Amino acid sequence: MENLYNLFIDPLHQTFFQKALLGGSLIAIACGVIGCFVILRRMAFLGDALSHAMIAGVVGGYLFMKVIFSIEAHAPAMLIGSVIAALITVGLISFVSQVSRIKEDAVIGIMYCGIFASGVVLVSIFRDYIHVDIMHFIMGDILGITDSELWVAAIVSAFVLTILMFFYRHLQLATFDPIMATSIGISVALIDYSLTACVSMVVVSAVSMVGVILVVGLLITPAATAYLLSDRLPRMMALAALFSFTSVVGGLYLSVWLDSAGGGAIMLFCSFQFFVIFLLAPKYGYFSKLIRRWNMIPQSLLEDILTSVLRSGNQASSESLRLYLKSSTKLLVKGVNQLQREELIIKTGKQIKLTDKGKEQANKIIRAHRLWESYLEATGMPANEVHRAAHHLEHLKDEAAINYLDNKLGHPAHDPHGKKIPQ
Amino acid sequence: MAASIIDVENLTVSYGNRPALLDINFSIGPQQLIGIIGPNGSGKSTLLKTLLGFIKPDFGKIKIYGEPLARNEGRIAYVPQRSAVDWDFPITVQEVAMMGRYQYIPWWKEASARDYEIVEQAMKTVRVLDLSKHQIGELSGGQQQRVFMARALAQQSSILLLDEPFAGVDAATERAILDVLKSAKESGKTLIVVHHDLTTAAEYFDQLILIKQRLYAFGSPKIVLQEELLHQVYEGKLRIFSDIVISKKG
Repeated sequence: MENLYNLFIDPLHQTFFQKALLGGSLIAIACGVIGCFVILRRMAFLGDALSHAMIAGVVGGYLFMKVIFSIEAHAPAMLIGSVIAALITVGLISFVSQVSRIKEDAVIGIMYCGIFASGVVLVSIFRDYIHVDIMHFIMGDILGITDSELWVAAIVSAFVLTILMFFYRHLQLATFDPIMATSIGISVALIDYSLTACVSMVVVSAVSMVGVILVVGLLITPAATAYLLSDRLPRMMALAALFSFTSVVGGLYLSVWLDSAGGGAIMLFCSFQFFVIFLLAPKYGYFSKLIRRWNMIPQSLLEDILTSVLRSGNQASSESLRLYLKSSTKLLVKGVNQLQREELIIKTGKQIKLTDKGKEQANKIIRAHRLWESYLEATGMPANEVHRAAHHLEHLKDEAAINYLDNKLGHPAHDPHGKKIPQ
Repeated sequence: MAASIIDVENLTVSYGNRPALLDINFSIGPQQLIGIIGPNGSGKSTLLKTLLGFIKPDFGKIKIYGEPLARNEGRIAYVPQRSAVDWDFPITVQEVAMMGRYQYIPWWKEASARDYEIVEQAMKTVRVLDLSKHQIGELSGGQQQRVFMARALAQQSSILLLDEPFAGVDAATERAILDVLKSAKESGKTLIVVHHDLTTAAEYFDQLILIKQRLYAFGSPKIVLQEELLHQVYEGKLRIFSDIVISKKG
């Protein structure tokens, strides 16, 4: 008991932990929610680009305030500078990829590295004049979060969430169907830029906590985790916010217990969450996919069961089916159960009978089988071989295709073996 | 002559320096079911996207009800090609249909009870109401097509543009969709449909537009589906269709 108290409650008494928890949660929630759009628009790489490009903006903002107003490390100016740098990067990316033959992914790489490099060079030129720590950028320092960073996180988070709340429909439609969005007067370009601006504000704020390298993870991993559990966007956004929050809480405890870097611990926890959900999600998870595949019964087996029952005078036993179809007992039992659920057969004791619906289906397959036989014979295949080939082809029983065969063959009444072709 | 609803004058569109549409002219009257036909890559979808304002023309004019496109936002409903939709998008049938109402809902408001009513009615018309809570990827091809029809109906526009609505659906669904199109036409709407099955074009549409970058023919199916003309547009590929086209003429 004592131990548990120490583990969970003790850190909460520490001011640095409280601040990290508050700041981290604020920005992580915004990250998660806007990350949903980043994922659905496939701009994950762009998020990476923005986080790197911002360093040039931070230095620009810093220098601007220092030179003009002699203010050191003015947080709002650095934030605005970052957003401007991000928008310039995006503008350059879309310009170059439109006018040249270089594809967008390569252009993103070119642009953000160029802008990141200009930031690095600026920092090193002015290293005695301004105090920007590159390592701080790369690794982040959530446990050393300052009050002004906390304010920035709160304002950015509130702003971004407000925008998303009011323009949810615009964002959703522009993401899902930009053509319709344009046709009802929504400016898709404006939406794109607004979203980019929001993403860059969130990223800028998050970088000071988890660092440039990990910020993309915070942006997309919770949203991707939520995506595996959601069929509706509002639910995905809510879950993404939840997973971001739990990542921050879990990660911070982890970093205190293990005495590790805060940003790294948060992302580790976040990735762990993703893997758990990836494996266990009820509908889109890996295990459920395996189970579905396990339970899958080949359509051809189902159809073979139907026709075998019909051919044996509409009554058959499981044993006779097994002998006739040479299929494994387990698969056959599954198939029979499946057909019962679809109300195509009725099983009383060991006897299997077709329902009216089942008879209709079986007749369709037999019609396909016999028409295929006739067709194969017409193409010159020896009559004793057509049955085996038609047995495979009968599962191609699309109505239009079968009627086409029927027309081409001049509506034959009997197949090559003299059996009647059902209508 | 009845006042035309859509007037396209000297429309030219290009991607980079490759022309997609060259000097297209036509006008369409009210209450028509019109098919756009032409080989792959002939600019059919580009024409739709230009009519919707998504692609800006290099040259030429589009007028809707005698006014430029920019003043007609939301008066044209759009049903995308099935392959152009992200079917993994986390969205339900009802939410897609509700998009048809977005143009009527101010950004600071929520959808009203009346919007929900209209959406429900639209879903009922195309028989997807019982699927309303399903994610769109769970539906069959025909049902997916009908969801976007519901969205277009909820938009209550008098002009509908449809991009290959019959692609990849079974014969019964094709009939069902055609019925919805015909009843929409009966209720006074004009429908423009990109279509690539020449065998059904004459049966389905009042008028056909045959394009391959340029407008080759525009008018009743009898005028457009002429062997010589189709030969010129489809080149070698026509042979597949030729017996069908001739039998249609006979």
